[in-house]
Amino acid sequence: MSDELSEEIHAHLDEKVEELVASGMKREEAEHAARREFGNVMLTEEKAREIWKWPRLENFLIDIRYALRTLRKSPGFTAVAILTLALGIGGTTAIFTLVQQVMLRSLPVVKPGQLWRIGDAVECCYSDGYTQGNGGRQLKNDWSLFSWEAYKFLRANTPAFEDLAAFQIGENNAELAVRRAGSSAPAQAANGEYVSGNFFRTFGISAWRGRLFTDADDREGAQPVAVMSFRSWRGMYGSDPSVVGATYYINGHPFTVIGITPPGFFGAKIASSDMPDFWLPLTTEPLMAGATSRLRNPRLAWLDLIGRVRPGTHPKTLQAQLQVELRQWLTSHVPDMTAQEKALWEQQTLHLTSGGAGVSLMRENYRQALWLLLMAAGCVLLVACANVANLLLARGLKNRRQTALRAALGASRARLVCKALAESLLLSVFGAALGTAVAYAGASLILRLAMTGRASWIPVSPTPSAPTLLFALAVSVITGVAFGAAPAWIASQTRPVEALRGASRSVAGNRHWAQKALVIAQVAVSLVLLSAAAMLGRSLRNLEHQNFGFDASGRYLVSIDPKISGYKQEQLVPLFREIESHLRSIPGVRMVGSVLEAPLNGWVWPHDIRVEGKPEAGGSTGWTRITPGFFAALGDKIVMGRPITDEDNADTRPVAVVNEAFAKRFFGKENPIGRHFGPTPRKNAGMYQIVGVASDVDFGDGPEPICFLPEAQSTHFGDPETEEREVWSHYLYNVVIWAPGNPPAIEREVKRNLADVAPNLVMNGVRPYSEIIHADFAQQNMIASLTGLFGVLGLVLAAVGLYGVTAHGVEQRTNEIGVRMALGADRGSVLVMVLRGAFWQVGIGLALGIPAAIGAGHLIANQLFGVRPWDPLMLSGAALLLGLAALIAAIIPADRAMRVDPAMALRNE
Amino acid sequence: MPKRKEEPRDLFPGALEMMVLEILRRRPLHGYALAQHIRERSDELLRVEEGSLYPALQRLLKAELVTAEWGVSASGRRVRIYRLTAKGAKHLEREVSKFEQMLEGITRVLAPAKS
Repeated sequence: MSDELSEEIHAHLDEKVEELVASGMKREEAEHAARREFGNVMLTEEKAREIWKWPRLENFLIDIRYALRTLRKSPGFTAVAILTLALGIGGTTAIFTLVQQVMLRSLPVVKPGQLWRIGDAVECCYSDGYTQGNGGRQLKNDWSLFSWEAYKFLRANTPAFEDLAAFQIGENNAELAVRRAGSSAPAQAANGEYVSGNFFRTFGISAWRGRLFTDADDREGAQPVAVMSFRSWRGMYGSDPSVVGATYYINGHPFTVIGITPPGFFGAKIASSDMPDFWLPLTTEPLMAGATSRLRNPRLAWLDLIGRVRPGTHPKTLQAQLQVELRQWLTSHVPDMTAQEKALWEQQTLHLTSGGAGVSLMRENYRQALWLLLMAAGCVLLVACANVANLLLARGLKNRRQTALRAALGASRARLVCKALAESLLLSVFGAALGTAVAYAGASLILRLAMTGRASWIPVSPTPSAPTLLFALAVSVITGVAFGAAPAWIASQTRPVEALRGASRSVAGNRHWAQKALVIAQVAVSLVLLSAAAMLGRSLRNLEHQNFGFDASGRYLVSIDPKISGYKQEQLVPLFREIESHLRSIPGVRMVGSVLEAPLNGWVWPHDIRVEGKPEAGGSTGWTRITPGFFAALGDKIVMGRPITDEDNADTRPVAVVNEAFAKRFFGKENPIGRHFGPTPRKNAGMYQIVGVASDVDFGDGPEPICFLPEAQSTHFGDPETEEREVWSHYLYNVVIWAPGNPPAIEREVKRNLADVAPNLVMNGVRPYSEIIHADFAQQNMIASLTGLFGVLGLVLAAVGLYGVTAHGVEQRTNEIGVRMALGADRGSVLVMVLRGAFWQVGIGLALGIPAAIGAGHLIANQLFGVRPWDPLMLSGAALLLGLAALIAAIIPADRAMRVDPAMALRNE
Repeated sequence: MPKRKEEPRDLFPGALEMMVLEILRRRPLHGYALAQHIRERSDELLRVEEGSLYPALQRLLKAELVTAEWGVSASGRRVRIYRLTAKGAKHLEREVSKFEQMLEGITRVLAPAKS
């Protein structure tokens, strides 16, 4: 093609020469004339050839190559720009890594789009009764959880589901103690989840090793089998192939492990703790739970349902059908309903929601936090962009003559813009590459912050996935264009004539408005970040240092599980006496006491009670069970009466200690000592005698009424459910140790002593109480730490930006300043002049930032504890900090301006 | 006014292509012959660098408004001879009418200024 073209052109020239020669010109002269009239042969060929190419791409590659060369030539500028961008892009990508996995990802299963969930609310525990829903704005009539009986009814009557699976809801998994048959190793704690036999089939999961459940495994009377997760198989059993087919004792019952799930599969729910290690068929639940089994109780809803619909099924039609089925099922239970339920049952309904993402408590818990952090990271990215734009602008202005020269030599405006954009895109792509590493580090840090202490695992990984990398690339292109646009536009405005005006004379007006605008924007955004960080940090401090009613320092919590360790009820009192006396013998330990649910470690069981002699008094209180040492070990003061003692045992009358909130709620100003109360119904009102009042301690929900019952006493109830709860409540889960002054190796000592006393007891860990408090606020801590980090980053970047612009301005005005000084301006007035320029921008930035920060405060108001959405003190603190940083950033160039030597400047002029 | 030939004018974009198409409409020609034609017929009022003909021809080739095949010129040289396609003929018609409309417009605007 190109050869043809040159042949053609040469033929043209030859013809012309011949014609001119024929008309009487000398050959040599004719050749010159022919070339002259033809124009530049090379250029013509090139132009003609270009028509067939992708001219844009070709030019773009040239621009990229040129930009690479320019960037290499100024390594300092390049490093600063890339680092700035890496921080901005990396921060945003780190948050996005988590947003993508927590909020946007589908389950790693076959065709998640075909999966639909029956129900729309994400509940943690279980629901008791024939009505459901939070009863907020609407009636209590929104079903999300189902009993086994309801599940079987829906599964049998909904042919639109190819398969409908049920699995245990929420974070409340089956707690398992697992030991391989024939092994002498102690039982290991693990999480289990009861699932229906078609669970794996519904999600299209096939076994990694062995086989997974079928409906035959989920039949009453079937041989107990279990499926192990890949993660546990590798982590707990070192990928031992003999695991499949082996017998394991799970809570004392023999189970055959029939298979391993594939790597990556973590179940159908996502929670921030207690992801399942084992899956067990629903029908093994009665075997494990004994008398507390929920399986056959139609009132107890504890299953989430997700089904795979047949292709072509319309969700609306399916939903309507399911609503009818729900009411059909309820009809069969009308006789069992309470009066309130009878009034509402006909309004009960449910909603179908897309189930491809599974049921995610984590999504509910972290939704706001993640969006908040993504916004904060976006702000940092904005500031970073503004910084790089500023650097490019400063350089662009310096290179104006060169650009003008290009324009004079015929470069089109489009080409100049392309050249500038190529450079900025290159920078941002490099920034994104480095930012990916920052993102990995950042996401790891966030995950560590979010999960303190407990050896929990969540199915979120800091490794960037394909969508994350795409996101980083997209962000880099957008930012590249964003921060490159202004310099590119200014480059395109260059007039060729400027190249001809040789003088490099410049005065104040030359500092471009764009630079100032960018600094103003940076200041405003940084102020928003800083004030948000200050508010969140303060809120975290308020949370951690609120009055819990006891002093956490020097106190430790040992978490045990006698229930799954197989202790009988009559063994418990001696067991705890033994444990406590052993632990008390550890040097440094002052007091030991045990409790069912420990303060701040969760919740307490609620109970409806009746007070003797007060027909009108009644209501809900929390209750827990303790050993005599508890109050002293926790440092909970007895304000009236006496604590529980060793004399309160099976031979003496049932007693209780109540807290102040209890006394106030049920007795007002009356003296509660000697009064009686008991759980509903009224016939139990005389059951417990109050012997003491303890000061309020926060069990997790603030100062709620709570009563404390002695471990050594037990009462009997008519109905099996209350009776079962009474038995269960004697299995205390926590031992509180008071050992002030950080005794050395206390945690190891506790473990050793416990192993001596009760080798079969499952122990989940020993933790200082301060760590528990810290872990309770892990999410707030993560938000506050990250926002703080982003705030500092924004502050530094804004200061660097201001420094850059001011320094650049001083450099440009060196001659002007020299002339001013030569004409009599003193150093002080020069200083003031430079600082005034800088603070003018900071001032406008603050003026814009303050209302924005107040707005942001209102946006995050529901994340704040004890902090108003706009706090003048904190806002002015943030503004002051910013002003200080700005002063430092401006004083360096101002100082340089003061040192300008007038003589030198005049000579340049 | 001195009796001097005015500076020849630059062409507007697309003008050269239009002229090439018009010349080719009458008969197929090779590059040099096209250049001669333009110079002679425009009475040297237009300044056309001969070289610029070739990018224009390539553009027309690419747009399939003309075809080219190798032939022999009157002086016996191997040259490429360009021929108008049906698509080119239609394109030319449209372009000419658009151009005439534009010229008409400009003329009308200029007319009162003269009177």
